[in-house]
Amino acid sequence: MSDQSSVEILTEWDIVAARQLGRNVAKELGFGTVDQARITTAISELARNIYLYAGQGRIEIQQLAENGMKGILIIAADSGPGIPDVRKVMEDGFTTSGGLGAGLPGVKRLMDDFKIETIQGEGTDIRATKWLR
Amino acid sequence: MNIQVNLTENDNKLKGDIHGEIDAHTAPVLREKLEAYQAKEGLNAELDLSGVDYMDSTGLGVFVAFYKSINAKGGHLKLTGLSSRLKRLFDITGLGDIMDIEAAVGKGGN
Amino acid sequence: MPQHIEAQYQEILNEYVKKQTEQNLYVGQNFSRQLILENISPEEVISMHKAAIGELYSDLPDVVWHSFDFLIEMMINYGLALQERQSLLKRQEELKVEMDLAANVQETLLKTKLPSLDGLDIGLLSIPAKKMNGDYIYFVSDYDGYAGVAVADVIGKGLPAALCMSMIKFGMDSLNSSHALPKDVLGVINRIVEKSVDDSMFVSMFYANYDAGAARLTYGSAGHEPAILYRAGSGEFSELEAKGLLLGVSPAAVYEEHSVILEKGDMVIMMTDGVTEGRTEEGFIERDVIYKLIEQKKTEPAQAIVQHVYDELERMQNAELQDDFTLVVYKKG
Repeated sequence: MSDQSSVEILTEWDIVAARQLGRNVAKELGFGTVDQARITTAISELARNIYLYAGQGRIEIQQLAENGMKGILIIAADSGPGIPDVRKVMEDGFTTSGGLGAGLPGVKRLMDDFKIETIQGEGTDIRATKWLR
Repeated sequence: MNIQVNLTENDNKLKGDIHGEIDAHTAPVLREKLEAYQAKEGLNAELDLSGVDYMDSTGLGVFVAFYKSINAKGGHLKLTGLSSRLKRLFDITGLGDIMDIEAAVGKGGN
Repeated sequence: MPQHIEAQYQEILNEYVKKQTEQNLYVGQNFSRQLILENISPEEVISMHKAAIGELYSDLPDVVWHSFDFLIEMMINYGLALQERQSLLKRQEELKVEMDLAANVQETLLKTKLPSLDGLDIGLLSIPAKKMNGDYIYFVSDYDGYAGVAVADVIGKGLPAALCMSMIKFGMDSLNSSHALPKDVLGVINRIVEKSVDDSMFVSMFYANYDAGAARLTYGSAGHEPAILYRAGSGEFSELEAKGLLLGVSPAAVYEEHSVILEKGDMVIMMTDGVTEGRTEEGFIERDVIYKLIEQKKTEPAQAIVQHVYDELERMQNAELQDDFTLVVYKKG
């Protein structure tokens, strides 16, 4: 069972809309203040990456219910240039050293599960899940 | 431990002067600045080293690498204003025989 | 967040709010160490603080609770920075272990055996400034009255330099003779190095071959610091000059060789620029200083002489070696 909604990312203000959507869903699912903050920070990072590197894309938020567990799934999808070296951007110190924020390793830390698929010239699809404990 | 590198290029002629110490700490700065010009065809470079107080083998390595790459592209490198200490370094390493170097006036020789 | 931690935090906080003594703060400080050990992030600490205050003073105005929520948001990136730091520290630790292993391999691989020849006393000291030594000493000796020695300085540091040394060793082993002439040894290694390393890496090398029967030292240099000759008879020092280009610059380089006959008590001192390029607060250490140090111990065994020169030069530089330091003394007994 899943329930979904999404935000198109075109301008910097859309990042705020994506955060708001994520917060509403997280709150509704019963996540505490700290986890809400983590989930929205992860959404922010992903939306900002779309805005900065792909130009446009979409953040989708889904409610998950599996094996009696509830969770939230963030999907960040774009048809931008793709990431040439995924291993490198997933390395600690790669994005943060340039002052670019938490980066993808940060998103991975904030969430329980993280998957990335990227094809050069076609785009990137990132899925990050957090389960309610 | 400081280095100052001034380079200006005009019509494939590179003029420059270097001040300070060239050692393992500062050599990367010099290397990076010179690397920007080393791919040019037939570059005529003249670097004034009269402001260099100290240079170790790492610094020497930077000049040799630069010399080799611009030579391979039909260019020429000339180093001027070498103190007697620097001149000795080039002479010991045999580089003085293959590279175009000029001792500082009044400071040269041994 | 474990419940006992929350309870403990509430208790410590409550004590402080009531008494505000330094003792309370000290307890808090110790508690914060425990929090770090248990990987409790900054945002969780604020959240715990908010909960604790909520239980102790439930009637505070809403603005206080909102401000805590804001603070939690502010702390998320700090928490991430902390986690990243921990993961980088772990990675650094792993790299250090790898470097140590590599340094050990280098040591084993490049091990050399001091020749033992009648009438020749050899002293050797090679001290790296950092973990990996950029200086390289290799002796060639097959117990037939000859002792070859290569003193090399690889310009370029770390792992690439270590790999370059293996090439030098390979080159020397391929000649496989303690009779080999310096100009041939230098020529062969020049071609190996020229082919194999990148443009900014070079090697300077002094090669000498001692024929014990004739007491003759034949030497050549590839851009290396000249060796010093000490004549016991006159008590004079001079430099053993030999022309030759650094190894790895040009495949066409040719090397000279010269020879000297050693008399009883004469010494040949070979070194790298870590010895001659030493600097004190007053300036460079001149060659005369090194001559003087050798003279002070000229009647002692070669090993005592190299140790003395090292000890004194190190003392002059406040025990801070800038460069790898290598000194080899051949002394005719």
